[in-house]
Amino acid sequence: MVESKQQWKAWIYLAPAIVLLLVFTVWPIVNTVRMAFLEDYSIAMASGGEASFRLGVGNFVKVAQYQDFLVCLKNTVLLCVITVPISTLLALLVAVALNSIKPLRKTLQTIFFLPYVTNSIAIGMVFAAMFNIVGSLGTRRPLIQTVGIVNNVIEFFGGSYVNWINNGSSYWANMFVLIVYIVWNALPFKILILLGGLQSVNKQYYEAAKVDSTPRWRVLWRITVPLLSPMIAYVVITGFIGGFKEYTSIVGIFGESLGPAHAPGRLNTMVGFIYDALAQHHQGRASAAALILFGIILIVTLINLQVSKKRVHY
Amino acid sequence: MKIVLQNLTKAFPSRNKKSSEEVIAVNNFNFEIPDGKLIGLLGPSGCGKSTTLYMISGLQKPTSGRIFFGDDDVTELSTENRGIGLVFQNYALYPHMTVKQNILFPLQNLKGEDKLTKEQMLERAYQAAKLVQIDQLLDRKPSELSGGQQQRVAIARALVKMPRVLLLDEPLSNLDARLRLQTREEIRRIQQETKITTVFVTHDQEEAMSISDMIVVMKTGIVQQIGKPQDVYDDPANLFVAKFLGTPPINVFEGQVKGGKLYIGSDAVLELTNVADQPVTVGIRPEGFLLDDNGPLKCKPVNVEVMGRDVSVVSTHEASSNPFVRSIINADNKIDIGQEFVRYAIKPHKIFIFNKETEERIYFEVK
Amino acid sequence: MSENSIRVMQNRDMGKVTSKQRFAKVFALGGTYLFLCVMALIVLFPFYWMLISSVKSLAEYRLSKPTFWPQVLLFSNYADAFSTANLGRLFLNTAYVGIVSTILSLFITIITAFAFARLEFKGKELLFAGLLATMMIPGELFTITNYITVSSLGWTNTFTALIVPFLVSVFYIYLLRQNFLQIPNELYLAAKVDGTSDWKYLWKVMVPLALPTLISITILKMMGAWNSYIWPRLVSNDEAHRLVTNGLRNAFKDTSGEVNYPVQMAAVALVSAPLFLVFIFLRKYIMAGVSRSGIKG
Repeated sequence: MVESKQQWKAWIYLAPAIVLLLVFTVWPIVNTVRMAFLEDYSIAMASGGEASFRLGVGNFVKVAQYQDFLVCLKNTVLLCVITVPISTLLALLVAVALNSIKPLRKTLQTIFFLPYVTNSIAIGMVFAAMFNIVGSLGTRRPLIQTVGIVNNVIEFFGGSYVNWINNGSSYWANMFVLIVYIVWNALPFKILILLGGLQSVNKQYYEAAKVDSTPRWRVLWRITVPLLSPMIAYVVITGFIGGFKEYTSIVGIFGESLGPAHAPGRLNTMVGFIYDALAQHHQGRASAAALILFGIILIVTLINLQVSKKRVHY
Repeated sequence: MKIVLQNLTKAFPSRNKKSSEEVIAVNNFNFEIPDGKLIGLLGPSGCGKSTTLYMISGLQKPTSGRIFFGDDDVTELSTENRGIGLVFQNYALYPHMTVKQNILFPLQNLKGEDKLTKEQMLERAYQAAKLVQIDQLLDRKPSELSGGQQQRVAIARALVKMPRVLLLDEPLSNLDARLRLQTREEIRRIQQETKITTVFVTHDQEEAMSISDMIVVMKTGIVQQIGKPQDVYDDPANLFVAKFLGTPPINVFEGQVKGGKLYIGSDAVLELTNVADQPVTVGIRPEGFLLDDNGPLKCKPVNVEVMGRDVSVVSTHEASSNPFVRSIINADNKIDIGQEFVRYAIKPHKIFIFNKETEERIYFEVK
Repeated sequence: MSENSIRVMQNRDMGKVTSKQRFAKVFALGGTYLFLCVMALIVLFPFYWMLISSVKSLAEYRLSKPTFWPQVLLFSNYADAFSTANLGRLFLNTAYVGIVSTILSLFITIITAFAFARLEFKGKELLFAGLLATMMIPGELFTITNYITVSSLGWTNTFTALIVPFLVSVFYIYLLRQNFLQIPNELYLAAKVDGTSDWKYLWKVMVPLALPTLISITILKMMGAWNSYIWPRLVSNDEAHRLVTNGLRNAFKDTSGEVNYPVQMAAVALVSAPLFLVFIFLRKYIMAGVSRSGIKG
């Protein structure tokens, strides 16, 4: 509407953001790709840049052959594939339940949001404490002082205690603890989004269903879920993206050793792999792994979008 | 402060990127707005009236032509240096500020020798609020006011700078019918008290006619007619102006001039001189009909609408361009809808004839 | 069938259905509340456990039969935690980084969003689309080069390294621009008529009107500083610049064995407390911000 010839003015407003983005966003994209496709990049760096820069996919090959990487990839994929469906389903049930009640709704809504405003390392330490067995395990004659509150509950119901995270614990016991913690951590955001979606669904659909005396589970499955499908697709996609970047919850529970005392690094993930490579000054390897991570996230997102295009009902 | 518009033209680049054609929003507008008058820019939407207003305000720059305030050429002057007040259609009050803060806002931008002290600002704001009678509402937020009150705040904000020119964009369109009547009187009063040259834009001819000193009727960027409201109504320059002014609207018929007589259908309604034989379009104002048992115009009555002092007779005629012919007659006359025809005589000064092609007015003398 | 008999039949059916329905309804409602309460307990339990463990004595914590309410309230755990983890220093560092980066980031976000929402310049659409495209790329991809950049700039072990790389958030710019676009154009024109400069209009009109969004951004940004872990560990992990999350993890490295869990839980509670306080007072803004952003801190 107002005809201003002062284009330069706009650029002054934009200047700080553009400078920072060029340095900390655009250049990293270019540089990461460059480093990933240069052979022996980090060695070249170390020897003062005299080594020849050759292009190639050596970093990717190295990464893929690297035993640690495969472990990390497996952990990441497993955690994603297990936690996303569980947390989505639980969040959906909680959201639907919350939406169907009047008294206490606000209070419960606040309670269910609480895990969101936490420090995932700090609360990870609480989970570790809950699953931790105090005493000396792994020795010939284990001396146990307390088995931890979770095991207390199991014993209360007549089971026997499980070594969840301590020395000598099994891989799947570790995974179980991680899954519980990650789901607990992922619920609030999903509940918030799904409840928001439910509240914008037109009440008339439910009135109509009531008139036809449709059973509850049928209402949930045939009306609520289809109407919520865009939100469900959204939380699934963001859940997968977040899941592939899982790292701090593992640090929270297992510390920087990323595994129980007898098997450090056993629970490392893709992001952890990248940072380890970086800390050891293998920039090329780290870049290649980051690009692989980006590729995986991109593919998973595209698949999700493709599926939801068929399944999202409007 | 008189305003002179000289060959004012505004062309917008075409929306369609492929064609290089321009859309002419305002075409060669010439007008001298006398000092201290209230002027209504009138026309259907898209006629260029708002563009004209925005060009006077400086928010849009004309493609060609000049604008003068008094003797100063302000064409190149930016908005804030023109000394204008502008009231927007949706009032554009700052929602997070109180009424007082809204009115004070323009004063806080004054610089140099115009700069006011705090006390002076408050005094000016209070005076402006008093003028529009909102001095009781100064501490409210806009959302706590009715539409009419918001309108007044917007006017106060425009007036507080003591502008040389006051511009109002569709000032009444967001108000309900009752408030609209009240507010337009209010605008008239404020304008007469302040004697600021005021230009307002409206698509509502009744609104424009009722309060303007002069009206400008526009269509597709071209000025159709300028004049005092009554003069324009009584003496429209063309069919568009005749149709646009007046409620109920003018009745339009297909007609013909033949041998010094004006025919509507087969009814010879008028004898006239100095018009050559030709097909014409005929317009008759609703109040131009007189019930007359020997009148020349024969219509089939359909319905009678009682309006109190007057009645409105709805009837049909074969040559009418509209489905119905509407006449307004004194309520003392008794009309029987059952009868086959009503006959009308026509008041000669309420009938206009127009060229069938150009739709320009054809002036005639009654024999 | 006479009209009367139809009415009788309807009445009988209605009666039957309602009593059956009422039972089902009460049952379903009870089930719903039961489910929600169990879930709420699961959600709350870690917090409860953290709090009661934090005031237990080490001996009580190690009882083979757990106590659900501490026998003695040992508040000295908190003092121990504060000194063990050097929490005072960590809090100050984190607050400094959080406040400085939030203020600078808000400023940059505001002026950038304003340019995209209000000003006209060549290539605006293209540039904005480019910005949005960067949101798809995971942050880890930037971290590698940023680590190199920060090191070569000599920013290692400075607060600068913790603040500067994250000042521009494309997402916040996007969020605020959308908010700015909702402000009617007439307000801008009215301000122009009043002789208001772009700069003044931005700070006097647009910023106050977008305040809820700005508050949401502020909180999320502060939470980000409070929860950041990976980047600080890489670039500034010395005593003088360490942030709270790293400090906490460093102070209690072991997960098993002879750990003084009550003190650890007290430290965790202390670190969590500011977040909870913010949440209690600004719940509305946090939840609004999160539901629009979908990012954690």
